[in-house]
Amino acid sequence: MLEQSTKDKITSDLLRSIRLTNSFKAWMAFLTLSLFVCLGAYVYQLNKGLVVTGLGDYVSWGMYISNFVFFVATSLIGMLISAVLGLSGQKWATPLARMAEIIALAFAAVAGLVIVSDMGRPDRLLNVFIHGRIQSPIVWDITVVTVYVLISTLFLYIPLIPDLKICHDKIEKLHPIARKAYKLLSLNYTGSHEQDLIIKKLTRAIAIFIIPVAFAIHTVTSWLFANTSRVGWDSTIFGPYFITGAFVSGTSAIVIAMYFFRTNYKLQEYITLEHFDKIGKLLVLVSLVYLYFNLNEYMVPGYKMKKFDARHINALFTGAHAFLFWSVQLGGLIIPIILLIFNKMRKPLPLLIIACCVFVGGWFKRYIIVVPTMEHPYLPIQNVPLNFKVYSPTLVEILITIAPMILVLLIVSTLAKIIPIVPIQETIEELEESHD
Amino acid sequence: MAHFNKAFQFKTRSIIVLLTVFGFQLTAQNWDVPADKKAKNSYIKFDKTTASEGEGIYTKNCASCHGNPSKGNVLKSLKPTPPDLASSGTQKLTDGELFYILNTGRGLMPSFKDVLSESDRWKVIAYVRSFNKSYVQVLSNTDPTKSDKVKVTMVYNHETNTVRVQVVAKEQNTSLPLKDAEVLLFAKRYFGKLPIEKGLKTDESGVANFVYPKDLPGNKLGEVELLVKVNDEVYGEVESSTKLKIGIPTDKPGLTQQRAIWGVLAKAPYWIIALYLLGIATFGVFVLYLVKNLFDFWKKGQQ
Ligand code: HEC
Repeated sequence: MLEQSTKDKITSDLLRSIRLTNSFKAWMAFLTLSLFVCLGAYVYQLNKGLVVTGLGDYVSWGMYISNFVFFVATSLIGMLISAVLGLSGQKWATPLARMAEIIALAFAAVAGLVIVSDMGRPDRLLNVFIHGRIQSPIVWDITVVTVYVLISTLFLYIPLIPDLKICHDKIEKLHPIARKAYKLLSLNYTGSHEQDLIIKKLTRAIAIFIIPVAFAIHTVTSWLFANTSRVGWDSTIFGPYFITGAFVSGTSAIVIAMYFFRTNYKLQEYITLEHFDKIGKLLVLVSLVYLYFNLNEYMVPGYKMKKFDARHINALFTGAHAFLFWSVQLGGLIIPIILLIFNKMRKPLPLLIIACCVFVGGWFKRYIIVVPTMEHPYLPIQNVPLNFKVYSPTLVEILITIAPMILVLLIVSTLAKIIPIVPIQETIEELEESHD
Repeated sequence: MAHFNKAFQFKTRSIIVLLTVFGFQLTAQNWDVPADKKAKNSYIKFDKTTASEGEGIYTKNCASCHGNPSKGNVLKSLKPTPPDLASSGTQKLTDGELFYILNTGRGLMPSFKDVLSESDRWKVIAYVRSFNKSYVQVLSNTDPTKSDKVKVTMVYNHETNTVRVQVVAKEQNTSLPLKDAEVLLFAKRYFGKLPIEKGLKTDESGVANFVYPKDLPGNKLGEVELLVKVNDEVYGEVESSTKLKIGIPTDKPGLTQQRAIWGVLAKAPYWIIALYLLGIATFGVFVLYLVKNLFDFWKKGQQ
């Protein structure tokens, strides 16, 4: 058994961040303000229509859809950390599980909004449900994203119940309404063995269930592309290609989150150097798998160089998109893999920097998947001005693309202020187990 | 109108694609319009109303290349550059020449004969002429109201394998065969109309004989719907269609009639419906399982 004093210390350490500080207020004010600027851009787009973007008949999927793919991708981290690592008995990942779930939930929930930003007439969104064809991947996508958001919410919530009870009992200065809310949400949790068993059982069930759902959400996203006969998308490995890519962006996202929560919330004892080391190794692993899929995805058409493929591949390898393509492949994948092999690079700060490169590279990777293909149709429209054929996003578009990222930060920051970012109950339990 | 436009766009695009593929490049040259066509006049009066109707047609069909007349905003990337239709060069052409150009097209300039009706073609010209202050119209003696009087009959001759089209105008007591009327014959197909032979001119008895292909599929009963377009100097444009049993009977369900990936929702393949519903049902059951357990959980805490 652990000493009561140790338990108390853990509890108070992990609850410490749940209070309004001035720096938090300033951070939220900054985020809200930036969000308003971006929303202004959106209102402008709403008024004028999509002409204010760089989208057109040629490239009708640009930054917005790249952004959507990236958001869905990053949201898969919840499944990787909490479900895959959890089920395979990787106990070290326990303190990261909640963070991963919060990130997953935020990215998945916002992904839906990102799609809406690509609609010139969002008021027609309901038509997808009224007139949607069950044969269309768009309908599957909307279905699966919704399911994933719901499941992720439950995956965050159910293991959280004991901690909500702790919040209710242990936080001293708390607004009565907040205390009530904690009580209500903790569903009469008394800490009885029976109730603990139910939580264990349900958490496990969701962990199993969320794996196929997460695979479905990103595979369907890949099918939005792969089910279309277009160069660069018409590929049978798009599903696993997207999933493995998702693990890369997701893992880099959690590294960034780990770093900031660890330093800002003083969690050095809970998110340790060992965590960074291990997550760094995980990043190498998923990146290598992704690199392997990249090799397949470009090697096979690049070897055959069929007429239309060749135009696409040339644009990527040596043409207009070459700079971006190689920056992403080298800076976002190959160099990080090489660096991360060294122990020193898996220390928090270097790992953070590498993860940021991978994260940004991941975003541009989606751009490279979406945009160049749209510029290379099988039956090009003739005699249109150059700016029809070549996509260049406008400022309005860039602002509207940033908005969802701000929204994610808002959601993550808020959630991290009202629930313990590192699970209290589970941390204590695990310590107890290792003591026994 | 909408599907006309679509058809047109498609046509223009394919024409353009073809031309580019074959590396066609024309430089401005004379149109060499045959004298009789050059002298043709419009039976539609060019006034404010017809010009403004023409403007709508122009915006949809011509503006993408020719820009707004007199504004010089033509699509300069084309070779040859489409002229600004308000320019003096174009305005020097006779109405008949303009009409001929619209009918035949040349190079990148598409033919509008099958895209716009004759009256629409004249209305576009009315619009083009509205930019010319010194223009004075000469009306043709065609009377469009007379087209009601025209009767078209189609008969198939099995021996000669021809469709005999006869065009007759019913004037009071007599029937007057229309000589030298232009006749076009089409068979209606799944997508659009299939021209049968080239256009012919009627003889003294108002007859044009079209050699009909033996191998065209018809419906279940072997019927093919034929469409005739007649254009007469005096009586104007007439269209008429008949069903004749002259095709090979075929009974193939249309592509949109079967259950298929490309069908509407009601025609979705069963396997997709099953998979989708299975997915939703599994999720539903799972959520119920969670909710039930959470409810138990809540009750246990109450005791
Ligand atoms: C796809 C582009 C395109 C469209 C659409 C188009 N045109 Fe043209 N048009 C041209 C080009 C190119 C020429 C020059 C052709 C040549 O000289 O061989 C031309 C020539 C003409 C001319 C001859 C002018 C002159 O001075 O020689 C007329 C009249 C004309 N077009 C009328 C029209 C009208 C009316 C429409 C719409 C119903 C139309 N065009 C639609 C491309 C187009």
